Amino acid sequence: MSDFETVIGLEVHVQLKTDSKIFCSCSTAFENPPNSNICPICCGYPGVLPVFNKKALELAVRVSLALDCAINEYIYFERKNYFYPDLPKNYQISQYKQPLAENGFIELINGSKIGVERVHLEEDAGKLIHAATASLVDYNRTGIPLLEIVSRPDIRSALEAVEYLTSLKQILQYIGASDCDMEKGSLRCDANISLREKGDKNLGTKVEIKNMNSFKGIRDALLFEEKRQKKSILEGKKILQETRLWDVDNSKTIVMRSKEEAHDYRYFPEPDLLDFAVTEDLINLERSGLPELPKDKKERFIKQYCLADGDIKVLLSALWLADFFEEAVANFNQPKQIFNWLTGPFLEQVNGLDGGFKTVGLCPAKFAKIVEYFCSDKLNNLAAKKVLAKAIVSNRDIDEIIAEEGLAQMSDSDDLTEFIHLVIEEFPKPVEEYILGKETTIQFLVGQVMKRTKGKANPKIVKSLLIDALSKLK
Amino acid sequence: MKDNFSLFGYEIAEKIKTAEVTKSEVFSWFKQRVEKLDKPLNSFVSLFDSADISEQKSLFSGLPIAIKDNICIKGKKITCASKILSNHIAAYDATVISRLKTAGLAIIGTTNMDEFAFGSSTENSCYGLTKNPWNINCVAGGSSGGSTAAVAARLVPFALGSDTGGSIRQPASFCGVVGFKPTYGRVSRFGLVAFGSSLDQIGPITTNFIDSANLLNIICGFDPFDSTSVKTIDEDFTDSLIEDCKNIKIGVPKEYFQEGLSPVCREAISAVIETFKAKGAIIVDISLPYTSYAVATYYIVASSEASSNLQRFDGVKYGARCEASTVEDMYSLTRGNNFGSEAKRRIFLGTYSLSSGYYDAYYVRALKVRRLIKNDFDKAFREVDVILTPTAPSTAFRVGEKISDPLSMYLSDVYTISANLAGLPAVSFPCGFDKDNLPIGAQLIGKEFDEKSLIRLGYSYQQNTDFHKKIPKLFGAKV
Repeated sequence: MSDFETVIGLEVHVQLKTDSKIFCSCSTAFENPPNSNICPICCGYPGVLPVFNKKALELAVRVSLALDCAINEYIYFERKNYFYPDLPKNYQISQYKQPLAENGFIELINGSKIGVERVHLEEDAGKLIHAATASLVDYNRTGIPLLEIVSRPDIRSALEAVEYLTSLKQILQYIGASDCDMEKGSLRCDANISLREKGDKNLGTKVEIKNMNSFKGIRDALLFEEKRQKKSILEGKKILQETRLWDVDNSKTIVMRSKEEAHDYRYFPEPDLLDFAVTEDLINLERSGLPELPKDKKERFIKQYCLADGDIKVLLSALWLADFFEEAVANFNQPKQIFNWLTGPFLEQVNGLDGGFKTVGLCPAKFAKIVEYFCSDKLNNLAAKKVLAKAIVSNRDIDEIIAEEGLAQMSDSDDLTEFIHLVIEEFPKPVEEYILGKETTIQFLVGQVMKRTKGKANPKIVKSLLIDALSKLK
Repeated sequence: MKDNFSLFGYEIAEKIKTAEVTKSEVFSWFKQRVEKLDKPLNSFVSLFDSADISEQKSLFSGLPIAIKDNICIKGKKITCASKILSNHIAAYDATVISRLKTAGLAIIGTTNMDEFAFGSSTENSCYGLTKNPWNINCVAGGSSGGSTAAVAARLVPFALGSDTGGSIRQPASFCGVVGFKPTYGRVSRFGLVAFGSSLDQIGPITTNFIDSANLLNIICGFDPFDSTSVKTIDEDFTDSLIEDCKNIKIGVPKEYFQEGLSPVCREAISAVIETFKAKGAIIVDISLPYTSYAVATYYIVASSEASSNLQRFDGVKYGARCEASTVEDMYSLTRGNNFGSEAKRRIFLGTYSLSSGYYDAYYVRALKVRRLIKNDFDKAFREVDVILTPTAPSTAFRVGEKISDPLSMYLSDVYTISANLAGLPAVSFPCGFDKDNLPIGAQLIGKEFDEKSLIRLGYSYQQNTDFHKKIPKLFGAKV
């Protein structure tokens, strides 16, 4: 066989954004010191029982709806049994036979639909920290609600995998279900990958890859594995069904365990929790509360703002950016100008802030005002950027900043005439050159006027006033 | 304070109320009895120096109560009679303990049991076995043998036990006391160290039904910390302390009177039937055809759940730990050295039943049979109000007699297991003695949440008999 097709399926775990854990009332806050968000329940002390946090169900239902899944009417939890020090009860309360939801999809930008096989709820495990002489366990993360989202093997390349993840992340962030921060572990992804001859309907032997900590890691690991498997097949070797780890330092996957070593999880229904119905009321409530999803927003933006596809992609990459854009346009209806200023100088400023967008105080209306002043020649480019810098955190009154900094553009010819004459007197040589026909010299003279007005002058007006004055000298 | 030990709980309560005795006198008096008399029994694991008695004016305020060593009392050792938890201090109060404390009861100590409630004789304890107060060569029954022996010997007016397959009722029968297993969901399991989560239920062990009804009033009720606890209307169980059996239909299932039942127990139950008849009850012969599958079903369901429930005892977080160079070795050594042989047997059994390839043949099939057993009861209860059976096939057996024969040991729960599988309330009460003066127990099984009928019948029975007033000779003297 010579022409291969890559088949990829992704298993994504996301932490749901609840205030408290899934089966106890401990906080889910990320930054707290190790083992401070814990109680007998999430630490599996003798005698404790779980109580299901309904907020986790609401968010999970919201995700299921956003992914166009069918939600099962009755669901129950099961125990997944395995020994690991980060798992206090040595079983994880999860869902197995009957997941919360099934059969959804995510549409990629290239139009292909990636199936979502199942969405199920479970509890997160703790975190192992290996110190020099001992291994330590932090149980803060134990019991944070997790949603496992399993794709169908519909993904055909590493690039598509990243696109799927980007879209998924965007949706989850849009609907407020998860932060999806890979660095903080609120989004984790394992991948299954196999190759088959093009046109073959059967799936090849799959390999599971774990330990990928960024989208780049996922892409690199899948590309590596694709190559490794291809080479093996071409050399006539059999692909072994196994779990491999992505070794980011050496840019390769290494064997973690073979199929024979796979766990028998001995799933059985969790007797400490009752079966429960996902009511129509809850589904309807979540459906009606669902914000506009990225794909719908994209269509509306195209119609409403007449922006290029590329521009829209940038705006939709973060919900706050799209929202900020819309509010700004509502205040000053020049979408292209707003877009340019937002994705240009504004983002530049935001990226320079330690806390990123969270520290931005500037409201969209005031931002729009800056852009409006620029468009109406009240501020020149430089001055507008200065005002932006002054207002980005403080959200101070724009007019006040302009007045205080003396940044208002001088467009009044009377005010400018004085500077024009001063410059003409001071630079007789360039003036002479201009009169003799070297027209480019005008730029130098405009620059000198700008300098003397501390950048406040409107350069277009300065130029035309200069041309007028010089023509009288001819 | 003369002969207070022979008084029932509600009688002592009356003396406290009339200021004839003080709460602290009562406490230290029972404490002395435990100190002086428990040695041959070994019914207590820990005896507390004092109890914080709230200034509650509730009826049972100030009365001492002993707690089976698998229910968490904040700040006290909780071991489940296992080496693996030998030094574990409970971090919180079980819901039943909070309720007892709120009602002002004085928790006097913890009682012995089969390790993690695995057993029917209280011989599987890391503290050594508990003996039967009626004959110290016999077992107390189990797994709540410590609680039933202590109550029978009047070392304490009453105690709490837990019942997964008969662990309150069978030892109650062996020790001649009243052991009550409420409906599944009646009493919060929060703070009870889980054995078989879908079967476990905490219940009171008393000498009489008046005390049972009062304790049920305290411990029953919905608990938001236990998802399997059921919201019910608050009931006053003492309303059922009525001597009247008129027209109550009592079903007697033929399957409970077949081979394996000792003649003396059979005769005693016949006498109970006569007593109820005489008080106006209607006796109906019934059949519960799936009874013979109960023991097998139970040992798969209970062991499966137990194998998972006991996984948390791994040396990582609390309890015993055997150091080793790898975590796998640490697990093996810790669990290998600190679980007793019956605990290991149940873990193996349960792990096997849940394993892929066996799951459908064992666990899933057991669940189906469990459903059929429940259906048997549903059908029977369309005809009758309560069901009367023997509690155990025999009176207390001798120490060591069955310890090396697990199957015969398991069969001593043959009459009690079905009520757990069906989630029904059931109670064992003393109804006679064999020729060796060992107590015999009768069992009443009720409809879901119909504890009241059991109390009414039990109370009526005790108004007409004296078995519950008998005290084992060794313990019949004041100290």
